[in-house]
Amino acid sequence: MKRQQPIELFMPPNMLKAKVGGGLGGIDLAAMKRAESAMETLKSEFGDWIAEDVAALIAARARYAKTPDAGARDALLRAAHDIKGQAPTFNYPLIARVAASLSRMIGEIPPGGAIPLSLVDAHVTAIQVIHKNRMQDTNDKTAQALCAELDARVDELVVVAAKT
Amino acid sequence: MSNYRFDRLKILVVDDNVHMRKLVVTILQAFGVIQIFEADSGDRAWHILREANPDVIMLDWVMEGMSGLDLVQMIRTDPQTPNPFVPVIMLTGHTSLDHVARARDAGVNEFIAKPVSVKTVMSRLVAVIEHPRPYVRTQGYFGPCRRRRGAEEYRGPERRSEAPQQQAAE
Repeated sequence: MKRQQPIELFMPPNMLKAKVGGGLGGIDLAAMKRAESAMETLKSEFGDWIAEDVAALIAARARYAKTPDAGARDALLRAAHDIKGQAPTFNYPLIARVAASLSRMIGEIPPGGAIPLSLVDAHVTAIQVIHKNRMQDTNDKTAQALCAELDARVDELVVVAAKT
Repeated sequence: MSNYRFDRLKILVVDDNVHMRKLVVTILQAFGVIQIFEADSGDRAWHILREANPDVIMLDWVMEGMSGLDLVQMIRTDPQTPNPFVPVIMLTGHTSLDHVARARDAGVNEFIAKPVSVKTVMSRLVAVIEHPRPYVRTQGYFGPCRRRRGAEEYRGPERRSEAPQQQAAE
């Protein structure tokens, strides 16, 4: 195919490699070992961190319930998205799953579309219950059923939103 | 064994979530990185970027105000940018192909899908050190080439030649 526009392709000098060296390339196993050890030390703080993230989600939900404008919606999405990304690190995979469902619902309903507060509340309450009861086992049948139900409700909503 | 001198690197970590920043900074410090700058917003990151001129940027996508994608586009195309070639590693909970394509179109070099792990941080750092991408400049795009190999020989349709640079919506 004939190119319609000028395209410039070039390779800048690799200043990063010149700076850090590393003769054979590849991963630095000693550095990784140090980092894994530092992460183990950090784990003692994870309990507080997930509690703070859940509190931030509750606050974002309260803001959205009071004034469901674009700013409140974005704040709710950010809070859910943060938890989705971090909860697995904090050893709360079920919380991550529920937060992912909440993020998906908010993210896939177009701006201006109605996000049912009842379904937001169902997600936030589920996250609170999982956190309060320290449910860290993904095999918990009750939690699995709850997650599946939330997923199904969001599926329905997203399908309807896509058609409108 | 690689014996990288990570202590020579300047890295900017941008995330509005303090816990994620602390996690990433802890990993980088353990790698030996000494000069680590932190920003909790795109605006603050832009300010630090112009003052410190970091070697690598690790950047969250979803942030209040200026998003990670907005910041990448500024880094690549703003006349005030200190280094349009600076490698950007995006930390993201978005893993769909559509999101990945949007980030690549904005000029992101590498991705780390959350949850963040030591292994992925090391792997992406090594990728930007050892396997830098060529850069492409067209009328509508400036940034790293999306094709890791064979770019010089490519003769297919030129998507970027006509499409305006996509604006970040998140």
